[in-house]
Amino acid sequence: MAKGIKDRVAILAMGCSRFGERWDVGQEELMAEAYLEALGHAGIRPDQIEAAWYSSHYDDIGAGKAGTPMAQALRLPAIGVTRVENFCAGGTEAFRGAVYAVASGAVDIALAVGVEKLKDTGFAGLPPASRGTLAPMYLPTHTNPGNFSQLARAYGARHNISSGDLKRAMGHTSMKSHANAVTNKNAHLRKAITIEQAVNAPMVADPLGLFDCCPVSDGAACAIVTTPEIARSLGKTPVLVKAIQLVASNGWEVQQSGWNGSYVHTARIAARRAYAEAGIADPRTALSFAELHDCFSITELVTLEDIGLADEGTAWKRMLDGAFDVDGVMPCQVDGGLKCFGHPVGASGLRMLYECWLQLTGQAGERQLASPSLALTHNLGGAPAQNVCSITIVGAA
Amino acid sequence: MPNRGWQPGFLRIVGPDGGACGPSASSRPGAAITDQGEEPKVTGITAIAIHLPRLRLQRASMAAAMDWLCARSDTRGARTLAFWDEDPVSMGVAAARACLDQAPEARTAVRALTFATTTPVFAEPQQASFLCAALRLPEAIRTQDVGGTMRCGLLALHAALEGSDPALLIASDMPSNTPGGLAELRYSDGGAGVLVGAGPNLLAYRGGASLSAPFIERYRGAGHALTTDWEERWVREEGFLDLVPRAISEALDRAQLSPEDIQSFVLPCVIPGAAKAVAQAAGLSQAKLAQPLDLECGDTGAAHALVMLARAMEDMRPGERLVVAQFGQGATALVLEATAAIAGFAPAASAMIDTGIAETNYLKLPVFRGLLPWERGLRGRLPVSEALTTAYRNSQALLGFVGSRSPETGQVQFPPSRLAVAEAGFFAEPQEPWPLADLGGTVATATADRLAFSRSPPNCYGLIDIPGGARLMMDFTDPDAARLGPGDAVRFVFRIKDMDERTGYRRYFWKAVAASALPAAA
Repeated sequence: MAKGIKDRVAILAMGCSRFGERWDVGQEELMAEAYLEALGHAGIRPDQIEAAWYSSHYDDIGAGKAGTPMAQALRLPAIGVTRVENFCAGGTEAFRGAVYAVASGAVDIALAVGVEKLKDTGFAGLPPASRGTLAPMYLPTHTNPGNFSQLARAYGARHNISSGDLKRAMGHTSMKSHANAVTNKNAHLRKAITIEQAVNAPMVADPLGLFDCCPVSDGAACAIVTTPEIARSLGKTPVLVKAIQLVASNGWEVQQSGWNGSYVHTARIAARRAYAEAGIADPRTALSFAELHDCFSITELVTLEDIGLADEGTAWKRMLDGAFDVDGVMPCQVDGGLKCFGHPVGASGLRMLYECWLQLTGQAGERQLASPSLALTHNLGGAPAQNVCSITIVGAA
Repeated sequence: MPNRGWQPGFLRIVGPDGGACGPSASSRPGAAITDQGEEPKVTGITAIAIHLPRLRLQRASMAAAMDWLCARSDTRGARTLAFWDEDPVSMGVAAARACLDQAPEARTAVRALTFATTTPVFAEPQQASFLCAALRLPEAIRTQDVGGTMRCGLLALHAALEGSDPALLIASDMPSNTPGGLAELRYSDGGAGVLVGAGPNLLAYRGGASLSAPFIERYRGAGHALTTDWEERWVREEGFLDLVPRAISEALDRAQLSPEDIQSFVLPCVIPGAAKAVAQAAGLSQAKLAQPLDLECGDTGAAHALVMLARAMEDMRPGERLVVAQFGQGATALVLEATAAIAGFAPAASAMIDTGIAETNYLKLPVFRGLLPWERGLRGRLPVSEALTTAYRNSQALLGFVGSRSPETGQVQFPPSRLAVAEAGFFAEPQEPWPLADLGGTVATATADRLAFSRSPPNCYGLIDIPGGARLMMDFTDPDAARLGPGDAVRFVFRIKDMDERTGYRRYFWKAVAASALPAAA
């Protein structure tokens, strides 16, 4: 029986660029922005980093394939750099690679960087990704609003929620994230909105309106990980990795009739395994806050149930009751989430961990929560029916 | 088609009719040849069906849009308008499927397939091979495309009736006309399928004649999008009134019949009153003139003699005789006699003619036809690059919509794969091919996506559950596709999947359409 990752690796430091429409910089500068911040927090020299993982989704519009774009952008000191890609979960995948490397004992200090330069594509919404040669011959021309609107309709139908109630709950979800991001200087969208604005926004894919969708952003985020012992020897307060679980759909949801479309199958499995790995019996009492992959407002609502932070069919009501507001029982998207911090695909998983690290080390400034001890990130890549879902749990030592 | 070693015979199946069972030995290609010792003899028409697009573009709306520029007199009624993903190939598949439904045994017996159109989708490759694959017909079949004149459909029927092979003839057309012209008002989009064989026949073939003449009333150079028409008084006087009666006279001679032996007369002609004048000139004044369907659907070009014939057959009684003729660089006339079986011929053509949606936006015609450049955004400018190797390797799955089924568990899956999916793993046992096209399904999830590119937004798609436990994310099609929701019953239609306007390439696949949007199966 594997002993798992719990308490074997520490986050030494993290960095995050400002997210948004960064017309001023390219992906190299975005990576450097996040990396220099992390290096500064870590108090180490670049040549102490022994291996690196690099996450970028769109190879044709970003820096390019392989590890060299990051090695060159950050002028890394002749070390191995592994490029990973796992849809929008790539940031967590890069983190997992670095963490596993340290846990294996092969290296003492490892680096994980995620970046995306979406505003060089010209697209509103995420650009279409390559799907190989066969899939385009039979699968629909889809977008993520289209994919996740199906989740919204199925969730509403499954739990008999009126379209008006669901729309208001989704509106509250977005309103809460907008409010949280107002004080976040790195966030893409820093303007508060009302539920009414969200509910009445132009429709993208019924029932998802414009304010139910996260923006596409430029940005980069970075983690430097090491052993808890080395972190302490460097005089740092380590944030310990308690669990990392990642589940990829095997095609069951889209090829057999068993799944009802109202939840994310992989999220439930990943969460169950992550809680077991971290030794958490009741996530509602154990966790201090959560950073969920709120690519769409409905994703946040459904995820709250999938990972056990709300009973099935109740997340929409509890959202309307304020349970997941910054002053609620389980604050979610304290930094604004994908919805307002932004969503540079390959960086988002690391951005979530950046907020966890800030909060757990008391560096979150105006949005600092009171004495948080344990946090969860949920980083989802792909569509509800076919995806890669990762859950990471980190905690104060 | 390619045959991969892991599944012997996998890609050579013909498939079950109606989808109730898997392929049997007798339905395999080649069985028709080896099981039939004697040379079959064609004696008449065994089945006929039509397909018309749902959109019916109102001529009054066409006039409202264009008559400030090109005034036209008679703007009554409507013409069919192919939806953006319909073309002669897809309409031909739809008509042929309905035709084969009437005579399922023809799936294995048919030995020739002719596709007739004046508006081919491809100069190369041959489209009949697509139709053959989409219809899951045996690979031992003689396929050909014909065209060049709107008479090509009836010419092909004439050739089939004079031949000895059971044959499927598919005529499908989208006549290409200049915006603002009379022809644009009169011609329309549609298809028809006809099976000829030794019987049991609906119509027995008594004789026919085809005349050839270098009479060019409309032309379109290779590579040109639009036709040029000549003055219609000349077409009527020197064309219809001279050539068609002579073809009819020759056909009656060969049938050893005289004009008074004929009870019905079918002649597509967009020139008002000309069909009646031809009937008089041919001595067929006493015969019932078939409905031109000009107000209901317009003239469907290469398909229209067969569309009118299918409709006229609904009114025929056993023993009645009919002449069906068509004009175009000459004329063809065929003499057919209704058998006792005509009494059971279902009025499916009428149902199709009556199943339409009134369309009042004229601009859909030039946009769907690619005649009007429009701002499609970045998502509409992405190239369609077809990996032809992948397309061929998966052609039975993609064109025939054939999935796989586990003989042990009965679990059905699409696309077929070496390892069949299970919730937590896979089934490794060999699977059998399992045609899905005729099974229909149920919507599990649905969306109407306004961000995705579509030639008729929103782009509608979702998960479809298919009997046997299979599921597939599919495009929805139809002007009303956005109304589809979970639980709705759907049927599957063969449509354009994507188009590459730089090269002219078209990719086809199956889409879901609300069962309620289609006329009831015959």
